[in-house]
Amino acid sequence: MKRTVLIACTTALLGFAAVASAHHSAVQFDFTKQVPITGVVKQFRAINPHMQLTLQVTDAKGTRDVELEGHSTNNMYRSGYRKGMINAGDTITVNVAPPRVGGDGGYVVSATTAKGEFFGMKSSRLADAAKVQATAEGR
Amino acid sequence: MNIAALRGVIAGSVAAAACLLLSAQGSAATPRPDFTGVWTNAGAPGIGGATRAAPTPLPFKPQAQARVHAFEELMKPTGDSPGGWCLGYGMPGSMLNSGGYPMEIIQRPDQLTIIYEAHGETRHVYLGKRNAPQADRVPGRNGYSSAHWEGDTLVVETDNLVDQVDQRYAHSDQATVVERYHLEAKPDAQGRRVLVADMVMTDPAFYTAPVSAQKKWAEVPNGRLLPYECAEEVWTQHLEEMAKKAGVPVP
Repeated sequence: MKRTVLIACTTALLGFAAVASAHHSAVQFDFTKQVPITGVVKQFRAINPHMQLTLQVTDAKGTRDVELEGHSTNNMYRSGYRKGMINAGDTITVNVAPPRVGGDGGYVVSATTAKGEFFGMKSSRLADAAKVQATAEGR
Repeated sequence: MNIAALRGVIAGSVAAAACLLLSAQGSAATPRPDFTGVWTNAGAPGIGGATRAAPTPLPFKPQAQARVHAFEELMKPTGDSPGGWCLGYGMPGSMLNSGGYPMEIIQRPDQLTIIYEAHGETRHVYLGKRNAPQADRVPGRNGYSSAHWEGDTLVVETDNLVDQVDQRYAHSDQATVVERYHLEAKPDAQGRRVLVADMVMTDPAFYTAPVSAQKKWAEVPNGRLLPYECAEEVWTQHLEEMAKKAGVPVP
């Protein structure tokens, strides 16, 4: 399903933003990169200042739970997310800014739901955001 | 009363009425602008920060510079910020930045209420007799704001701020902020009203000179702020920890 992706807050990605994590800072993620991760939703919370997502991922490293965080509820809604789009048990794909230090995890900047719905952010610090958006919208 | 006196009374009444009418027309000719509405950052949507930032380096006094440097060094490894811990920006950060989220202004003749979506920070700006006596003003991160009109410009003066080294424009509790709000004469390219605030912060304890910046917002037609509960994550985690210690599932 095509979904219009709204331009939203980029300051969440800049160290000084209000939507920095209550426990981490977005500064720990590399927003010049996007890495797709597909997995089964074990837990999802659309909350402020950060959404929280646990995906069960199976890849060459094996099967494990990957803890992710992302934008605020407000910015998710402004970028197309709506209640009920992500549920436990769904298989979804998220694009994340990976941790600068490597390893699992990341900051979710966009997602494609089990029904193929897309929502995501466009950031001045994401050089390929427009490309990702266009791809997700089938353009 | 003779005729001459009566004519005098009539003439005087007519003149007084004319004066009142002219006065009323004069007032009607310069109505106060109504800032009521939802406003988002002008220019690139969702991008916070001042439209015109203060020139850098900021004119810190040495002791203030040392404190700011120490704070920045402390935050550097994690990039933590007050907002990251669900604490509002405080002035002038709430006005200049607020994470790029929109704000709503509700205007009455004697009070403006400004709600910043991020953290639900709220400022009450009082005019005239609505103002509290100085002794009754409670210090805080957004201070106490009083205002008056100068033509079609609303001049807001904020004092009773607390020391905030964690601000982009750090300041002491001696800081005062003056904001001058006006609407641009012409709408922007999208036909939206544009609200401009010119800010000057003075702080003899922190700065050797005033700090000036400008912020612009564009009106969001029929806009609505979204709720911004921020402490929910902390509470949820605390609840989970309590349940874990108690050996019970989260209720």
